[in-house]
Amino acid sequence: MSIAVAVEALSLTLGAVRLNKLDFRLGRGEILVILGPNGAGKSVTLETIAGFHRPDSGRVFLGGRDVTALPPEQRRVGFVVQNFGLFPHLTVAQNVAIARRAGRAAAGHDAGLPPHGDPEALLSYFGIAHLAHRAPAGLSAGEKQRVALARALASAPDLFLFDEPFSALDAETRDQLREELKSFLRALAIPAIFVTHDHDDALALADTVVVLRDGAIVQSGSAAEIFGKPANSFVARFVGVENILPGQVVAASDGLFTLAVGERTLRAASSANVGSPRHSILLAVRAENVTLLSSRVAAESPGAVNQLQGHVTGSRTIGPLVMVQIDCGFALKAYVLAPQWQAMKLGQEGTVLAEIAPDAIHLMSE
Amino acid sequence: MKFASGLCVALFCSIAVAPNVVSVVQATEPSTLTIYAAGTLAVPFRQLNALFEKNNANVTAQAQFGGSVMMAKRITDLHQDADLLAVADYSVIPKYMFASPAHAAWYAGFARNAITFVYTDKSKYAGEINAQNWYKILARPGVEIGRSNPDTDPSGYQTVQMLSLAEKFYQMPSLEQSILANAPLTNMRDTETSLISALQLGQIDYLAIYRSDALQHHLKSIDLPAKINLSDPTEAAFYKDGVAHTKNGDLFGAPIVYAITMVEGTKNAGLAEKYVALLLGPEGQAIMKNNGFGAFSPSYAVHIEAMPAELKKLVKPWPGS
Amino acid sequence: MTDVTASRVAPIKGRWQARAAPSRPGTLYLLCWFCGSLLLAFLVIPLIALATHQSAQNLGEVAGIADVRDAIALSLEGAFLSAALAALAGVPLAYVLARTRFPGKGVTAALIDLPLAVPHTVAGIALLMVFGRQGVFGEPLQALVGLKFWGTLAGIVVAMLFVSAPYTVNAARIGFEAVDPRLEQIARTLGLGPWRTFLRITLPLAWHSIMTGVTLTYARSISEFGAVVILVYYPMTAPVKIYELFLRFGLEQAAAAALLLLIVSLGLFVLLRALAQRGVPASGSR
Repeated sequence: MSIAVAVEALSLTLGAVRLNKLDFRLGRGEILVILGPNGAGKSVTLETIAGFHRPDSGRVFLGGRDVTALPPEQRRVGFVVQNFGLFPHLTVAQNVAIARRAGRAAAGHDAGLPPHGDPEALLSYFGIAHLAHRAPAGLSAGEKQRVALARALASAPDLFLFDEPFSALDAETRDQLREELKSFLRALAIPAIFVTHDHDDALALADTVVVLRDGAIVQSGSAAEIFGKPANSFVARFVGVENILPGQVVAASDGLFTLAVGERTLRAASSANVGSPRHSILLAVRAENVTLLSSRVAAESPGAVNQLQGHVTGSRTIGPLVMVQIDCGFALKAYVLAPQWQAMKLGQEGTVLAEIAPDAIHLMSE
Repeated sequence: MKFASGLCVALFCSIAVAPNVVSVVQATEPSTLTIYAAGTLAVPFRQLNALFEKNNANVTAQAQFGGSVMMAKRITDLHQDADLLAVADYSVIPKYMFASPAHAAWYAGFARNAITFVYTDKSKYAGEINAQNWYKILARPGVEIGRSNPDTDPSGYQTVQMLSLAEKFYQMPSLEQSILANAPLTNMRDTETSLISALQLGQIDYLAIYRSDALQHHLKSIDLPAKINLSDPTEAAFYKDGVAHTKNGDLFGAPIVYAITMVEGTKNAGLAEKYVALLLGPEGQAIMKNNGFGAFSPSYAVHIEAMPAELKKLVKPWPGS
Repeated sequence: MTDVTASRVAPIKGRWQARAAPSRPGTLYLLCWFCGSLLLAFLVIPLIALATHQSAQNLGEVAGIADVRDAIALSLEGAFLSAALAALAGVPLAYVLARTRFPGKGVTAALIDLPLAVPHTVAGIALLMVFGRQGVFGEPLQALVGLKFWGTLAGIVVAMLFVSAPYTVNAARIGFEAVDPRLEQIARTLGLGPWRTFLRITLPLAWHSIMTGVTLTYARSISEFGAVVILVYYPMTAPVKIYELFLRFGLEQAAAAALLLLIVSLGLFVLLRALAQRGVPASGSR
């Protein structure tokens, strides 16, 4: 995949926010999600790429050009913000028509896509031609998103930037809009950078996820990698890993680890290159990967690896799941489907067996 | 924080209320005497008021100053309460206050004044001008002269009357016209004192004004001949030949005499009487003289029979009335 | 960018009904109306008293005096120029104040409010100092371009502008601050340069506030007396003429002329308000 967008060693200090040598690439049609807590510098990153802040050092490449010194209007970036930022004093058609870059070939302009200079065609493509003379205020969120996309597309962008466009919406609308957005972006094959603090956005949209903390990238990779194999405890906590357990490496060879956690021993299969014997280590285990067995079942398969006996210290129902808190020498959390939990008939203080598959244990050095 | 803002509110309220409280606490029956007076009387009357308050316990003498006609109209048209009216031109009183319904029944002259031109070091030809050549210099091109509106203000029409007298005195028929050419409408204001700052800032070179103002504002002035500067009551016959054509009709020259009257129906008649007596007496006359006004002793009055008994003693009948 | 359209379009009757339902908000609303009516009465009744003091004949007579008509026309002309200058220079200033941070910004904002606190005569004298025959601007301007401020329309405009410009700047600033900077950013990414962004996005969205400020400037300019009269007595603006009428004739004449001025001004304000409304978008954003 050819590189369509490149950010090289981007550094910036803007009041309290710093960006520290940010570096990432995007191919044509790829969606990058920037995840991070508030104040991490996500919006500032987008604004710098769009051209609203001059970086202290580093470069930005869009569509093969070095745009670092260019003002925003020359960069060919489409910007979609929270509540979609439609111009309230213009109709939908006027919003789309106001873009100024007709007569230039758009990156990602293929057969089947509307010519960017034609507002009417754009409206039809997004199925909002009937809204042409409406004012933005009365539109639904979905309609607004389409107008915002049509408008951004009208300026023939080389890159789309999304700054938490769904933050103010309810869950159902978010899901719907997310799916629509994904399908539009795939069809247009224009790269996009999407900023959010919502995990679902990242999981649903991302080809690549970049986790930002205090202006620096702490991990980047596919969504599966970030969520399944967080690089450190910060990322692990951020992506919602429920069990982060301190332990010691007892033995390690060929990707098989023997670990001591509290007074228990666990076996892990990890490709991570972390820790030699007697070193401290952190274990990350997602609650859904902790299986609960009743004692009877356990008795039928002795010798299974990573079976921990403990008792239930609490449980909480979260929708269709139950989060069960277990004390097995150390605190452990497990997700069980509600019907199964009912069937296990375990009350408080009941004895239970927790089992963790060796390859579900992810190891982190910090 | 809350305590501090509460304290501030309390402080503010007490400051607002305090004066009222204080005045209530003051001893028996305080009274206020209200005097409306011409603008040029501001300085001497403030001194007079201070003296009056010293002589009369529990009395406040409050004066408001403005154009003579304006102050008269505040009484006749706006029905504002005043006890005394003092004007720069005695004819203002019969013209506005005697008319029915009568707001006054008599008036007494208490000071004289003269028309003059004032100037500063910045004024054009300041080093050259004197009592002999003034009319030639003021007519030179480029000289800017300020004056007040003859239609609304005594010093305005008195200036024009003086210029028409000067024509006869120097036997120069074009004198008035040539000088007034340098005093166009744009240099005019409704009272001459409004133009003092313009003079000091160099916008105008010469200002037609009263001699008393020259002294009070420490400005240089020209000593115009007594025969034309409207200062001498004995020259009244000559003055009558001076004319100013205004929107109120033709006005003929008369000596500049400041006059005072008591407003009809005033509740402070006793105090007002005392005030007039002070003004007409030696102390009042001394104050007027020190401020550049001509003394007017003995005072002349019109409609003496209508005056309070104590004041009748202090005046003589106006010559020729 | 909240969804205001719906509530704006709803019929007044529906509004009353909707708000009467809960009793607590109803009491608040009534109280507001009560206090508001008091203030409205306080403002309107003196004007009505002025209006009913005259007969229509009196009004007609005064309207017939050429001097009076000229004075009103001069006031309107001066006020128009003053408002135009306030808009031309004040709107950019307001934009800078709204969008940028710089050392001394607080002081600058306070300075802009200062003319409102200066006594009018003092303002007039200060302007005379600067624009008069020997003033730091007045002298060179008169020598180079022949521009005089003493007794001219220029002087009238300068005095009016000094006392009324703050209204435009403050209102425009509030208008610009209410425009989401994100909208300007988006416009830039769409290819609009800084100028086009300002003209097509920022200005229309701030238009209503700006026009309110300009109207206030215009109104304040018409009524200014103290500062104008220091620089310009002739030709007479309406306030100066009214004062002169009072001195020469009395209350009746002056009040009639004043009423005439008020009627003309009222007509113009209605026009200006309509002009302000024209810029308001269908969505109801202010």
